[in-house]
Amino acid sequence: MFGRNRTKKVSCLAENENAELIRLENLVKIYDTGAIKVLGLKKINLTIRRGEFVAIMGHSGSGKSTLMNILGCLDRPTMGHYYLDGIDTAELSPDELSAIRNKKIGFVFQSFNLIARTSALKNVELPMTYARIPAKKRAARAMELLDCVGLSERADHMPNELSGGQRQRVAIARALANEPPLLLADEPTGNLDTAASVEIMEIFSELHKAGATVVVVTHEENIAAFTDRIIRFSDGRIISDEINPNPTKGSGNVHTAGLYRNRETGKEAVTC
Amino acid sequence: MLGENMMMAFHAIRANKMRSFLTMLGIIIGIGSVISIVSIGDTMRGLFSDLYKDVGLTQAYVSIGYTVADVRQSDYFTLDELDRIREVFGDEISYIDSDSSVGTEVTAGRTKMKFDFQGITPEYQDVQPVDIIYGRYLNEGDLLGRRKNVVMEVKSARKLFGTENAVGKTFRTTIYGTTDEYSVVGVYKKDMNAFQALLMGADSDRGSAFIPETILTWPNDSFYFCHLFAAEDVDMNDFMNRLVNYIARMKGRNPEDFRTVTAVDEMGSVDSVMGALSMAVGGIAAISLLVGGIGIMNIMLVSVTERTREIGIRKALGARTRDVMLQFLTESAILSACGGVIGVIFAVALVSVGGAAFGLPVVIRPGVIVMAVSFSAVVGIFFGMYPASKAAKADPIDALRYE
Repeated sequence: MFGRNRTKKVSCLAENENAELIRLENLVKIYDTGAIKVLGLKKINLTIRRGEFVAIMGHSGSGKSTLMNILGCLDRPTMGHYYLDGIDTAELSPDELSAIRNKKIGFVFQSFNLIARTSALKNVELPMTYARIPAKKRAARAMELLDCVGLSERADHMPNELSGGQRQRVAIARALANEPPLLLADEPTGNLDTAASVEIMEIFSELHKAGATVVVVTHEENIAAFTDRIIRFSDGRIISDEINPNPTKGSGNVHTAGLYRNRETGKEAVTC
Repeated sequence: MLGENMMMAFHAIRANKMRSFLTMLGIIIGIGSVISIVSIGDTMRGLFSDLYKDVGLTQAYVSIGYTVADVRQSDYFTLDELDRIREVFGDEISYIDSDSSVGTEVTAGRTKMKFDFQGITPEYQDVQPVDIIYGRYLNEGDLLGRRKNVVMEVKSARKLFGTENAVGKTFRTTIYGTTDEYSVVGVYKKDMNAFQALLMGADSDRGSAFIPETILTWPNDSFYFCHLFAAEDVDMNDFMNRLVNYIARMKGRNPEDFRTVTAVDEMGSVDSVMGALSMAVGGIAAISLLVGGIGIMNIMLVSVTERTREIGIRKALGARTRDVMLQFLTESAILSACGGVIGVIFAVALVSVGGAAFGLPVVIRPGVIVMAVSFSAVVGIFFGMYPASKAAKADPIDALRYE
């Protein structure tokens, strides 16, 4: 069963193999706090291609969060360029950035950031609401996504009625709602125990196998070990950028069938 | 999207029930008092208008003007002149009389009582009908023969004679210095609501009765007013013009020398005074809406601050400035409109209960309700504008970091 899926995945990956999803050119970010100017990022050059599974590592203050905000189009670079899917984001207005975040990026946060007193289903629907997708279609797709992360029975639960791992799975389902080309996870396992952390990373692995581009920001080596490429940051600079020859394999128990659909080919890379 | 915003708004309002209710209270009181006051005003106007209808909308008086310096004997009216006016205008006049009345003391056996006698002709029953419960109304014979017969109001009859059926009973009274014996030929009853009784001065100590007008116009045959009811279908303005012109010609005077009072004019001026009054008081009540609006702004500011993180999440997920703005505007508009609806229910209940207690027909215009609820929504939008724009302008990074 898995073999058949792999062949499918390889074929669709081949089509987009060389396509750049992210390109940073001489990216500089300066924080102007009035009295002093802090250099957050110092001339970063970086390319991430479609289908890559990347970890960005660094201690706090290394600039990785700054990079994360810029990659997520939450912040704009002071100088240089950030091309996401061929679009130069430095030129965009706040509302245009909102549209980019909505269509191109799926966020997974350390503290889950589900909206309180709002059901799991409604949380997953949210990005589609802002994409003006009709209510019926939205609900159906959200249910499908929750089913894929194994939470269809919890669709009506409020975030405070779910465990940390379940919340993060809802967040992943939400991140995938508009089928964005980029999944951006900021310390996704930071608030989770080991078992839940592994589970979440396995989901990312599966998504990667299905053709998704996943960028995980973390400071934990064992989390970064799940990825194929590890970029280390220190003091606002990239200090290393290496291929991980032996990514951690999951238990294989995680099922994410149908969770990610390749936008370009329109084909589902993994099917049940 | 609007539906989605409204769902979210109800959600947020329900999440903080007590706070939402207290915020609404300002609007509830504001809208409630505006509607109550306007409805009370409308009810009063309705009562006045009913009263005038009751009195007869075509009723009019003509007399020599107050400002005429050289009033002559010929400026007063005689019964002959009334007959001539009647002939000239024919069917346009339903009723005409001398508007004569007298207040005097009557004696029946040992009972003494103050009475008001109104001088009428038998056609008065056509324009101001009363229920004859015993005996008969005055007739042509009573009028032409100047018979000392009266038709007495039922409560007066009970007071004077101790019985309602006073037909055939007699009493003595002095009119114009002549004391005579008068007979009761009929007893009538006229229904009035509390308001009419109040305004008409149903002085329970004084009796009232109809008497042939010829008793009061004789022997002078000279009276100040020409009192009439025009036919229902005449154009009052045109009719009054022609009437005054005719009277002026008859008496060799200018039409400007005569003064007219019509029920329509009276009603119009009372109505406009009442209308202006209820508008003014309603306007003052509307100030409480302003206070309510400030309450909404205050609570929305708290809500926006509390939900900074939610705003950050929404923005990260693709909400545009407009989406966030609309979300909070919808919330404040709904909060305020809910207050408006509750205020309307409250006011309608209050006014209806009040109306029922006093036995008055209550007037609540649907237009006022629609206006009040829309206005409360506008108040919500206006006072929600600042908090909503504050929310919409939030920087997603700062908002996401907010604890």
